[in-house]
Amino acid sequence: MKVIVSRSGGIAGIRVTWEVQVDDQPDAPYWRELLSALPWDEAEDAAPPPDRYVYRIRCAPHEVVLPEPQVSGPWKDLVDRVRAVNEDR
Amino acid sequence: MRHTQHSPTRCTIVPPYLLVRLARLDDPRFGAAAEAARRSLLRDVPLREQRADAPPPLPTLRAPSARERGRVDRAIWDAVGQERLPGRLLARSEGWPATSDPAVNEAYDGLGQTHALFWTRFGRDSIDDRGMPLAATVHYGRKYDNAFWDGERMVFGDGDGQVFNRFTLSLTVIGHELTHGVTQHTANLTYRGQSGAVNESISDVFGSLVEQHAAGQGTAEASWLIGAGLFTDQVQGVALRSMKAPGTAYNDDVLGRDPQPDSMAGYIDTDDDNGGVHLNSGIPNRAFYLVAEALGGNAWEAPGQIWYDTLTGGLARGVDFAGFARETEAAAAARFGQDSREHTAVVSAWHQVGLGQSRGAGAAAE
Repeated sequence: MKVIVSRSGGIAGIRVTWEVQVDDQPDAPYWRELLSALPWDEAEDAAPPPDRYVYRIRCAPHEVVLPEPQVSGPWKDLVDRVRAVNEDR
Repeated sequence: MRHTQHSPTRCTIVPPYLLVRLARLDDPRFGAAAEAARRSLLRDVPLREQRADAPPPLPTLRAPSARERGRVDRAIWDAVGQERLPGRLLARSEGWPATSDPAVNEAYDGLGQTHALFWTRFGRDSIDDRGMPLAATVHYGRKYDNAFWDGERMVFGDGDGQVFNRFTLSLTVIGHELTHGVTQHTANLTYRGQSGAVNESISDVFGSLVEQHAAGQGTAEASWLIGAGLFTDQVQGVALRSMKAPGTAYNDDVLGRDPQPDSMAGYIDTDDDNGGVHLNSGIPNRAFYLVAEALGGNAWEAPGQIWYDTLTGGLARGVDFAGFARETEAAAAARFGQDSREHTAVVSAWHQVGLGQSRGAGAAAE
């Protein structure tokens, strides 16, 4: 199971992508629980505020696109974790 | 590779080891002790918390009817590294002396210079043309690599210090953000796809004009760069974007190459970035530069006036590039006359970036 977070936009318009192999993580059960509990189908199609980031989060078969202000709660937890794993490599 | 097959081929592709570095750069993690200390510090200021929830206090109360048009009214807030708006502290209000914080002073001065361009050149009294106070927040987030307009205020991060410096360093960025407010109160262009790229381009156009106007630079002297000085000296690049030569602002082993196209031949189809609003904006950006180049002198005069007339003249929210091109041509003809030098320059500029029609065909179709 793989999670891919891609961040685009921002005033610079520079795209950055991070990904994590969930099965390789020491706390893989926690990751699976977090991923299965995410409200994948409830993302609203909100008007994106100018120059804020846009996050595309993928974990097959799910994919969601969220403007930065909507990346909160469990979504924020996931994004922070994915980035943290990439930092530690 | 951490980029995926969804990636548009023209988009920046960053090698994995550099992504790791980037991730580290823009996601600093304070040690647990530092975090605890910081939270403790913030808990000790409940009064400031309360103030943060209230609207920014105005320095003087005045009846709307008695208000003097064109008077700037600024308030700069300090978010103290948090991601809450408007911020924790009112750092500088209108008429207050400079502080010891360069970000606060840069935001204050930049808002003043942006207000001055819109008021003195276009007779626009602030963002809403009704004297709306100009609000900005600095020190937003931890090493936050961005600046944005949230619908009410401009918000500036400090940058990570390794790729990006603080975002208030660039007057074009301050002008860019405030212009998003002007667009919101006028054409309110949908921030997606081509209308989103027009929205972005208008912010770049007026952001650049703010800098040129403040520095007294004509078209030939101006840099036409957006965000010059934002990159640290570790980055191979001069700015975020170039209006004069889109696609040439940076070419760096970490960030990749500036992906902006300079004509419709390089148009980028992508779902990222709200449909490439920061990428395809290079096309209308260059069209504006070409108008300025053709006319010479100061770009905030005829070229700026034509773009301002277009923005405020009933532009459709979802306008595409071709529609925007036609509207600027109509605005040039309305103000300067059909087949005037200015009108011809606008038609020619769009033609050069692959939009609009040739002079003959355009005239026949009108």
